Amino acid sequence: MIGALTIARRETSALFSTPVGWIALTAFTFIGGFFFTAMLIGYFDAYSQSVLNPGQADQLSVNEWVIQPLFSNLGVIALFIVPAVTMRLIAEDRRQRSIELLLTSPVSSYEIALGKFLGGMGFALVMAASTLPFTWFLYTMGDPDTGIVISNYVSFVLMLGTLIAMGTFASSVTENQIVAFMISFAGGLFLWISNWLVQSMGDGAAKTGIEYLSMLKHAESMGKGLLHVQDVVYFLSFIGFFLFATAQRVEALRWR
Amino acid sequence: MIEVQGLTKSYGDTLALSDVSFTVRQGEVVGFLGQNGAGKSTTMRIIAGSLGASSGTARVGGFDVAEEPRKVQAMLGYAPETPPVYTNMTVGDYVRFAAQLKGVSDVDGATKKALGRVGLDAVSHRIIDNLSKGYRQRVGLAQALVHDPRVLVLDEPTSGLDPAQRIEIKNLIHDLSLADDRTVMLSTHVLTEIEAICSRVIIIHRGKIVAQSDLATLAGGAGKLVRIEVARPDGLLDVLRKVQGVKTAEQDGARFMVTGESDLREAVASASVSYGLISLQGERLEDTYIRLTTGVTV
Repeated sequence: MIGALTIARRETSALFSTPVGWIALTAFTFIGGFFFTAMLIGYFDAYSQSVLNPGQADQLSVNEWVIQPLFSNLGVIALFIVPAVTMRLIAEDRRQRSIELLLTSPVSSYEIALGKFLGGMGFALVMAASTLPFTWFLYTMGDPDTGIVISNYVSFVLMLGTLIAMGTFASSVTENQIVAFMISFAGGLFLWISNWLVQSMGDGAAKTGIEYLSMLKHAESMGKGLLHVQDVVYFLSFIGFFLFATAQRVEALRWR
Repeated sequence: MIEVQGLTKSYGDTLALSDVSFTVRQGEVVGFLGQNGAGKSTTMRIIAGSLGASSGTARVGGFDVAEEPRKVQAMLGYAPETPPVYTNMTVGDYVRFAAQLKGVSDVDGATKKALGRVGLDAVSHRIIDNLSKGYRQRVGLAQALVHDPRVLVLDEPTSGLDPAQRIEIKNLIHDLSLADDRTVMLSTHVLTEIEAICSRVIIIHRGKIVAQSDLATLAGGAGKLVRIEVARPDGLLDVLRKVQGVKTAEQDGARFMVTGESDLREAVASASVSYGLISLQGERLEDTYIRLTTGVTV
């Protein structure tokens, strides 16, 4: 476990000692800020119009108009940003042979996989923290529901965790970082929108199954402030599955 | 300290190692010789636990590498041919990372000691990417040394270095082997290095061990091949051919090479002394090596 934390610490600091991490973080906060501003403007417009119809103004909730769509959009930005951050996690080690240091140190393949994942999570937490000014702004100007804010953050971090676990795995199957990017981006996009794909399908087990795979569906349900066990289990089981798969890949590297 | 028994490794249809067995005793410095692709790196990676064998066992300090890799890796330092470095880290940070990874208790102390040993104190704040190849090689060594391992496995530690750097690294390995009764196994192409620091040689050829013995024994066939250089070579060739026991004699300017079935050194020396004998040399490790790996006498 100490080995995993050692690897994680190195990975997170490596991301911030190269331009990659800073560029990704800048892109994320910039685009996120853009969406946030657009939603605020939309909210203010609706609010100023509703002043003419007393009663309607009370129904305009900052939670529904700003927080939920904001996190939904941040999720979409993360779909693009996270693969760019995770693509190098293991692929770069393999290319520059530093993987040999990990493989010949007294740490198990599971610790290596976990360390790489946690290293990515360190970045994800910085990403999530970079949105705190948005919520702080909402608190100073209005009265958002703290429960909804928290559940949105929880679902956002879980979603980042899923993307990072998948990205770590993608990075372990190839030495080519671009290929790793493509795999994790395609995988993330599929998980994000898989419920769109089956909208025209008739009801049945297949539809329910594919819908269940959709991150968007689970994130939306959590974004409304409902912390259902099934949604948390959904994200955690993906993270667990990809960590396991990554550890298997790392172990397989010892047999090539 | 290192016991390798019936090690076999195949990559798909290619057999990289075939029934490789040898032992390295504690405190020994063993040279591992072989041509490119002979299986040196494969063997060393299996011992270091970064590669699994198809069959056979490798044991280090009594522990089977396949069964208890963490125990082996905690007492073994491995430096692959390409230093396993993160090029965007500083030297100090990298060695500190390696120390933490290997579970060293006093990380700062161990890092400082390892950097000092390989002569990297002065560059510890530099980014590895900006270092010369010689320095990178030393960073690779520092990584292998940082947990003060009892066994060192070094894959071509001097490859790509200039002669001065080679000598430095060679001396460093020599010092390391003397200190703390450390066991060292190193592979190299440079035979003079083996002669200078190794007590024993293992020669591998096409995945098979073709020779393993003390350096002295290996060169025991010394007198069967004699090289001389004389000041006045005219007519010496015929004289040499008539020396008792000589099978072949060849001339290359002022240099001659004589082979036979028994020790010819004394006979050849007395025959050539009147021709102004400058130097006489028995079979060198190089000759033995080439004889064993190519079957050709040079």
